[in-house]
Amino acid sequence: MSKNKKKKEKVRIAFFDFADCEGCQLQVTYLNEAFLGVLEHCDIVNFREAISERSDDYDIAFVEGSITREHDAERLKEIRKNAKILIAYGACACIGGINGLRKKYTADEAINIVYAGRKDPIEAGEPKPVHDVVKVDHYIHGCPTSNDELVEALKGILLGKGYTPPDYAVCVECKLKENVCLFEKGQVCMGPVTRAGCNSWCPSWGNTCYGCRGLLPNPAKEGQMDVLEKNGYTINELEQKFDLYNACKLEADKNE
Amino acid sequence: MRHYYLEKTSMGKFIESLKEGYRVVAPIKKENQFVFAKVESAGEVELEYLPTVLPPKKYLFPQKEKLGTFDMGDTKLTDTSVEVEPMIIFAAHTCDIEGLECLDVVFNSDPADPYYKARKKSLLIIGFECMVPCDEYATCRTMDTHNPKAGYDVMITDVGSKYVLHVNSKEGKDLLEGNSALLDAGNGEAKTLLAKTREEKLKRFDNKLKPEFSRLARLFGDSYTSPVWDEVGEKCLSCGNCTAVCPTCYCLDMYDKVKLDTTGGERKRVWDSCQLEEFASVAGGENFREERSSRQRHRYYRKFDYSVKKYHKFFCTGCGRCSRTCMAGISLIETVNSLDEENENV
Repeated sequence: MSKNKKKKEKVRIAFFDFADCEGCQLQVTYLNEAFLGVLEHCDIVNFREAISERSDDYDIAFVEGSITREHDAERLKEIRKNAKILIAYGACACIGGINGLRKKYTADEAINIVYAGRKDPIEAGEPKPVHDVVKVDHYIHGCPTSNDELVEALKGILLGKGYTPPDYAVCVECKLKENVCLFEKGQVCMGPVTRAGCNSWCPSWGNTCYGCRGLLPNPAKEGQMDVLEKNGYTINELEQKFDLYNACKLEADKNE
Repeated sequence: MRHYYLEKTSMGKFIESLKEGYRVVAPIKKENQFVFAKVESAGEVELEYLPTVLPPKKYLFPQKEKLGTFDMGDTKLTDTSVEVEPMIIFAAHTCDIEGLECLDVVFNSDPADPYYKARKKSLLIIGFECMVPCDEYATCRTMDTHNPKAGYDVMITDVGSKYVLHVNSKEGKDLLEGNSALLDAGNGEAKTLLAKTREEKLKRFDNKLKPEFSRLARLFGDSYTSPVWDEVGEKCLSCGNCTAVCPTCYCLDMYDKVKLDTTGGERKRVWDSCQLEEFASVAGGENFREERSSRQRHRYYRKFDYSVKKYHKFFCTGCGRCSRTCMAGISLIETVNSLDEENENV
């Protein structure tokens, strides 16, 4: 490197969490070697999982969790103001995730199920994905997120290209790995209607796809219902399969 | 070319002998299906098998492969070499051999794809002739791929009491010469045995497609606007399984995998699929195959019409994989037969 070349300024990264389990942030701590590579380019200034320092001066905000309460929305808007780039990070932030199940119930029902017997007031707002409150620049899907995808996305963003997750089905990646299709083994899988990008993480390890990366932009919902029905599922069970991660979107679609 | 005999009890010994000097890949059980994989010991090899999940095209045109490396700002790729090792694809069905013949037309004729060409050069193909049709999805009889014709170095045929090995290339001849598991066969006797076996075999192979081979191309010529495509499109999930498992699908996408320090990276290619919504979308947001029905029609036309016009070849080998793998139950036999019925009624 020439002497005159100014040392590249590092990009300042901050992590924030809302209604979630913080499991996606925890994934970051498993980056191991790649983490050191990331730190060559980036300073992490907010990261509750691993450091105690805090700062409001950052370039990229990773937002984890769904937004359920008014003061959360206010906090998120502040983050948006501070950040040049805002990334919805993980299923709860990108699509509402499992928290979306709250939308299947009234607030009282939900409180009764989760906090049965508690007398103090509990705020149980309706969960929203981050893009329902502020503009999102990029999405990193998954429950939890995949570190390979995180690194790819980060590289794209550092290069100014950004990151676009695939908009085809999990099956595409699954078949390239020559996995035996779960349907061939008498199991059911949400792979055909779920966004790829995880490298068919669950089906490759003998699990079924739960749809954590969200439905495809144009899922063949009727076709998938037919397939699941042929495999012996009732309408109720089918809806549960779709709702587990995608209730926020599906409930919103119903009200449209 | 010459023939050999192989005693059935010597098959294991024969496979082990091939492993000396070659990476041998063959059908091996994976859960309740089969895949082509490296043979560790001869006992793993399954000679009676349904078509593997992916066809052997993956050895010539891998799912993902590196095309070269680059530094940022470069306009040329460097390190475009292909790592190859001498390989034998063992016990390939005749339909899959025909699949490789089709890929050869695409990748190995001038201007050849250097990556494919390098791999093909170091590859030997030993076929294993099918004596019964695989299952209800196989259409090899109609597609005329049920008998060995070309594209192999050695073909193994079970003639009942023993195997007959037909040597079909110089490379095949060199491979087998002096192999102690084999017995020399008189050409006349072996040919008679093969002819008799094939005469018997033919009785077990029926035409599952209603239109005959000679009528297929014309049928597709008349069916572009058929409502059958809408029916197929309604079922389709656009998962891309049918194209991944097809022995003759070769569409690919390219992308750059940049190093973490962003100073350079690798250019790669990966299998793509015309069934994916994004495949035919272009700058400006236009998508010229937006509907699942038009994407499915495109797939069929690439097998039965466009390839005939461009390469004078059907690109359907009759292996049945697309129908077998489709969870939505789209069946090639049903589609083609519906087109045929509709065509007759016009």
